Amino acid sequence: MTRTDEQSIYRWRKMEELLRQLMPYIGFVVLVVVFSILTNGRIVQPRNLNLMLSQVYVLMLASLGVFMIMTVGGLDFSQGSILGLTSIVFAWVSQYGIVLGIIAAMISGALMGAFNGFFHVKFRIASFIVTICTMYLFRGLCEYLTTHGPIPASFQVVALDETWLKVLLTSVVIMIGFLVFHFTRLGYDLRAIGAGEIAARFSGSRPELTTFLVYTVAGMITGFASFINVIKVGSITGTAGSQLETQILIALVLGGMPISGGAKARFSNIIIGSLTYSILEKSLPMVFPVSATQQLVKGIVFLVVVALTIDRKSLRVIK
Amino acid sequence: MKEVVLRSEKINKHFGITHAVKDVTLEFYRGEIHGLIGENGSGKSTYCSMLSGIHSITSGRFLLEGQELNIKSLVEANLHGISIVVQEMGTLSGLTVAENIFLGREDKFMHGFIKDTALMNKETQQLLDSYGLKRINASTVIDNYSFEDRKLIEIVKATYFEPLVVTIDETTTALSQNGREELFAIINRLKESNKTVIFISHDLSEVLAHTDRISVLRDGELVKTVNSNEVDADDLKRLMVGRELDKRYYRTDYDGRVSEEVVLKVTDLRVPDEFEHISFELHKGEILGVGGLSECGMHELGKAIFGGSYDRTGIVQLPQKNAYINTIPEAIRHGIAYTSKDRDNESVVLANTIGDNITLPSLDLLANKRVLRKKKLQAFAQEHADRMSVRMTGIKQYVFDLSGGNKQKVVLARWLGRNSDILIFDSPTRGIDVKVKADIYALMSELKDQGKSIIMISEEILELIGMSDRILIMKNGQINGSFMRNEALGEEDLIAKMV
Repeated sequence: MTRTDEQSIYRWRKMEELLRQLMPYIGFVVLVVVFSILTNGRIVQPRNLNLMLSQVYVLMLASLGVFMIMTVGGLDFSQGSILGLTSIVFAWVSQYGIVLGIIAAMISGALMGAFNGFFHVKFRIASFIVTICTMYLFRGLCEYLTTHGPIPASFQVVALDETWLKVLLTSVVIMIGFLVFHFTRLGYDLRAIGAGEIAARFSGSRPELTTFLVYTVAGMITGFASFINVIKVGSITGTAGSQLETQILIALVLGGMPISGGAKARFSNIIIGSLTYSILEKSLPMVFPVSATQQLVKGIVFLVVVALTIDRKSLRVIK
Repeated sequence: MKEVVLRSEKINKHFGITHAVKDVTLEFYRGEIHGLIGENGSGKSTYCSMLSGIHSITSGRFLLEGQELNIKSLVEANLHGISIVVQEMGTLSGLTVAENIFLGREDKFMHGFIKDTALMNKETQQLLDSYGLKRINASTVIDNYSFEDRKLIEIVKATYFEPLVVTIDETTTALSQNGREELFAIINRLKESNKTVIFISHDLSEVLAHTDRISVLRDGELVKTVNSNEVDADDLKRLMVGRELDKRYYRTDYDGRVSEEVVLKVTDLRVPDEFEHISFELHKGEILGVGGLSECGMHELGKAIFGGSYDRTGIVQLPQKNAYINTIPEAIRHGIAYTSKDRDNESVVLANTIGDNITLPSLDLLANKRVLRKKKLQAFAQEHADRMSVRMTGIKQYVFDLSGGNKQKVVLARWLGRNSDILIFDSPTRGIDVKVKADIYALMSELKDQGKSIIMISEEILELIGMSDRILIMKNGQINGSFMRNEALGEEDLIAKMV
């Protein structure tokens, strides 16, 4: 092949790639337009927008951790259960001080994440298997601890339910994540490990250590998110945070996250994805009042998006 | 005059606006071994892909025994008597040797729904034996065999249904020294039974030694078909490149003296089942060649020095820095570079960009108080990609798009960027065309002059003799011989210590 020909192929690839990256934004706009029409503009009313955003904070925060896990080529199904357990920890400890509660929730989240990371890295068990196991494990603990009824949070905590605070806290954490991902060695390592673990190891990256760290941090971030979760829900039941893991996965994929991770992961996937998901989640009941239909539509949307955006060329087995 | 069995008439191939093969008219005789050579991207693989139905033909035609071929797939090609052994691994793991060879052709052994495995194994074993591959057992799972053996099994598979024309594409996944003998035994057997073999390779001396005629392609065009016994390697290089090559291909000096300064000291290094009791010293400005048969442990040795083996014992020491190397990050930090034989898996992150690949080992140097700036990284990657003249559309291009030679340039660029003092090159010119090869040798001489030290692990004997100040030959995991640079040193001297 001559040089100009290579260039033309490359240009074509680049267009394809650009389109793939724009898909999530196009999807977001299409979704908003379609649901606005279907609901006669009800979803864009301030009250509904507020409602929609009320759930985006926890989702976005927890997605940040899973985003990093997926970038190194893994998956995590245990984040919902981690959110449930750390919410309980927060509710208990916050009796002695809210900051103390946040710290305790973050530490317990980190420990649960480290548990995942340890089994994945040390025993080389595929991450989705480890985290499906811990999903049940942590959920079991969560339900055991709430056998005698829901655990209420203190009144000071519930009083913090202010939009500005939630926006501020979420923005700060997301901003830190952004800086780490784009301006530190860790971010480059994550992408390299996801794209080719062996070659990354021979380039001086430490795949085992980094992967373990990423699971730990993901748990810690979810621990932090439990604070916002408790502010919102007030008391914690045994099912607190359930389904969060699938919500995260759908959100990230809607946001354009390649399911096998690697160099094509973009930080914007987290933000656009969790926004798109929240709109889908809150608009569906307005259009389809029956919950079975909602599930059906969600399943179809997810499948269609994955089928459209999946990168078949670089698809490998998920670790 | 020999009988023409296969003829191509004005074959063209376009990929989009790419004109990969241009008006190639060629004749292949019955019972000849026909070499097909050219630089990376010269169209030789594409030509054979069209012959075997992997790619469609844009215009022109192939005539097999005077009949026009109209082939749309590999299976159809097989039915017409054309088979190809492609560059990629074509065997399935988990299946036995026999199952692999008869994959998709089990009908012969089926009694209703029951397969006569014993008969299949027996027939496979006879086939293997007839090719002199007695050591391969038909009923053993294929994973138990080395890369080399699997390649040979693949060739046996390709020849089973008595094809008229067999194409063997050897350009990227070259066999090691011991596998080659068997490969050529098979090729010669095919020739004797009046089959035609098209042999694609980068190894010119081998092509010269084993073929009857050679066709040279350049930029998709047939340059010339020559009789193998009338030309030499320099003639072929000229035809491939289209101009006079620099005579200085290897080093021309025979001065093997190096500085007394020891930069790397290896003491009693051992990796179980790979090698043991390896001790040597590497001097400043020295090119130390390490040679041997593919499985002698030398490839693992390079990895182990770099800290890349899991169960290594022994000491790797940098006397000047009073440092010890146990892990890869330590090795990199202390200025050791490593390029693997398995380039695609261990040397470059294929699914990442050229830029990210070049910067990855040097991120710690590029960080300013732990903060990395994209601009700085890009400038760094651009500088070193340009220095190695990587052929690319830009540093944001993904590495999997690049040819073997270009990938290797990216690998070298990253270590030059790191400014490593000790470079471990494992099979640095494997599957790489003449021009890039010459570039790599020139680079090695340049690095030597700068006082850098190189450990060059290679299966190519001429390369070892041509470039090294000192050569260590390994056999069965131990050092079996040592040679100083010397004009009189011949291939036989080295081979005697290898086998």
